Amino acid sequence: MTRKWLRWMPAVAVPAVIAAAALAGSLPASAGDPLPAKTPAEVLALVAQHTAPSLSGTLEQTSQIGLPELPQAGASSGSGAASVLELLSGPHTARVFLDGPSNVRVQVLDRLAERNAVRSGDQVWLYSSKDNTATHLTLPAGAGHSRDFGQYKHPDAGMHGVMPTPEELAERLLAAADATTEVAVLPEVNVAGRAAYNLVITPRTEGTLIGSVSIAVDGQSGLPLSVELKARGQEEPAFKLAFTSLTLEAPDASLFAFSPPPGATVKEIQVPAHGTGPLGKGHRPMHGTESGVVPDAVDPGAVPPDAVPPDAVEPGTIPPDAVRPDYRNPNGGLPRPTVTGTGWETVVEFPASPASAEAGAMVSGDPLLQQAAVAVPGGRLFSTAVVNVLFTDDGRVFAGSVPADRLLTAAAAR
Amino acid sequence: MTSTDGAVDVRAAEPPSGRPSSGWPLLASELTVLFRRRRTWAMMLALAAVPVLMAIAVRASSAVPPGRGPAFLDRITQNGLFVGVTAMLVCVPLFLPLTVGVVAGDTIAGEAGLGTLRYLLVAPAGRVRLLLVKYAGAAAFCIVAPLVVALAGAGIGAALFPVGPVTLLSGDVITPEEAVVRLVLVAAYLTVSLLGLSAVGLFLSTLTDVPVGAMAATIVASVVSQVLGELPQLEWLHPWLFSHYWFGFADLLRQPIAWDSFGNNALLQAGYIAVFGALAYGRFVTKDILS
Repeated sequence: MTRKWLRWMPAVAVPAVIAAAALAGSLPASAGDPLPAKTPAEVLALVAQHTAPSLSGTLEQTSQIGLPELPQAGASSGSGAASVLELLSGPHTARVFLDGPSNVRVQVLDRLAERNAVRSGDQVWLYSSKDNTATHLTLPAGAGHSRDFGQYKHPDAGMHGVMPTPEELAERLLAAADATTEVAVLPEVNVAGRAAYNLVITPRTEGTLIGSVSIAVDGQSGLPLSVELKARGQEEPAFKLAFTSLTLEAPDASLFAFSPPPGATVKEIQVPAHGTGPLGKGHRPMHGTESGVVPDAVDPGAVPPDAVPPDAVEPGTIPPDAVRPDYRNPNGGLPRPTVTGTGWETVVEFPASPASAEAGAMVSGDPLLQQAAVAVPGGRLFSTAVVNVLFTDDGRVFAGSVPADRLLTAAAAR
Repeated sequence: MTSTDGAVDVRAAEPPSGRPSSGWPLLASELTVLFRRRRTWAMMLALAAVPVLMAIAVRASSAVPPGRGPAFLDRITQNGLFVGVTAMLVCVPLFLPLTVGVVAGDTIAGEAGLGTLRYLLVAPAGRVRLLLVKYAGAAAFCIVAPLVVALAGAGIGAALFPVGPVTLLSGDVITPEEAVVRLVLVAAYLTVSLLGLSAVGLFLSTLTDVPVGAMAATIVASVVSQVLGELPQLEWLHPWLFSHYWFGFADLLRQPIAWDSFGNNALLQAGYIAVFGALAYGRFVTKDILS
């Protein structure tokens, strides 16, 4: 009898070993060398001074922001807004290859399909394997630096035409944010096998939907490794974007040489040439008042050399009070919005205009979006765990990371 | 007993007892029996028919617009090598598990049903070795089956359609030679994918003397696993289902190849082999062999 039981031992032991291994694997791996302790300002400075890296990595995104689950495969056939929503909702895996600021390749790995964005210098290709279409555009000169760190800096910083040091910048950001926001460095975390500082930003107010924002900053390079957005009262992150693997080496140069495959439908998009992006626009008047006529070509502040690449990790570095709509939308797709409230409780109002009417019509027209937007007194409310958008019947649009009734109050006030 | 030895003489060719036998002759005879069977040939022909039918249908009809039918179907007319990939894609959910279920379910129960099992077990310590040999036979079929689909597809595709540079999912283009390598890699991926199911089939096969029951149960297991994998409510369970990475072979068609899913799949299937191998061992060595 005992002999018989002995024979069954492996059948018991093997699952036990696997369960133990799975448990051990899910525990946070203890990092070898603890990182030196840093204050939030020092961590921010570390982020600010990190140079354009060469890296290959895999990004994983999960989101539970309360959007309806859209079918993953339907990405390329839907409208533009639907495909953006599709990217924001549900899980996604993407591979990112960076070589300096101007060689970028992002591959969104769909099931049995792939979406590619390749940038080499000023040449940009978008390719979708699902419908075998390629889109080509040529970036206007200087556009590569439109998202450099300078545009997030405190408005005062540019007055002297001198780039502040990262440390100064961090101090100023923290000082400006302190009234509304608590910034802390929590015990270090391990992201993609790398020890990282865990910078946690918590709003001091109750009047926002945002619970906290955590950014994991690589202890060695200062590269943000993950961004995690938690809605108030939610245990699971509403949105998380994190590297699952990362090597800080230059990827194969052939990855950035893209030409449309034979048989693909190729579309050309003309990009209107305009200045040097928001930074250029913001700077030139300042220099004009300061030192008379400064030719654009030698404008010293326009393009700092340590431009941050336009990778998707960066948004986490934007302090809440720096996200002003006029920075986001320099080309004026929507009319200039009005902002009420401060800090985390900011409500942005877009007055009635053809563009906002178009957006409203899109919400009520698209069946998928319609499902997400609910009718409220005076309009339709597009509600997620972290952002609420109200389309009023008279064509105005209100948006903010605030409870829905605050948007309704704001809409009723005018 | 001696009177019936002739019935199993092919496999009774065992080295004289006294030293541990290697089992290689047993494996050789198992493979010979498996691949000489008319049933095995019929299954492989059925698998090969999938790409052939697909290629002829596409050839006879007008061009397939992108985004309709299974993925890659629209690429076939541009490049015949895609027939192999599309056919494997079509075979993954049902045809391959079906044939593997038949082979794996038949392993032990088939011998028991024929009444030949006890003659295979006359040698000391024969049960473990027999189990290993039977599993190796099922694994050999897992290697052959996807290859049959891939090669039949590439062959009929090359015969009916032009063959040229192949566009990968990433939009990069590779030469036909590299494409054949990718095709074989995809077949290898499917082989690994099916090993877990084979282990499940082996275990189920030790439970019964009715081979059809074990085959059906194995196929049902693969269907159940795939159905569970479609239910979003069971998301926590998904990484543990043996069918979880079955469609991950598309990662081999990217540039550069994403090896993560290959590795994850291999690890998962190894887990299934370990668990169900141990279960099959526990069942088989404690079983009263009556037939």
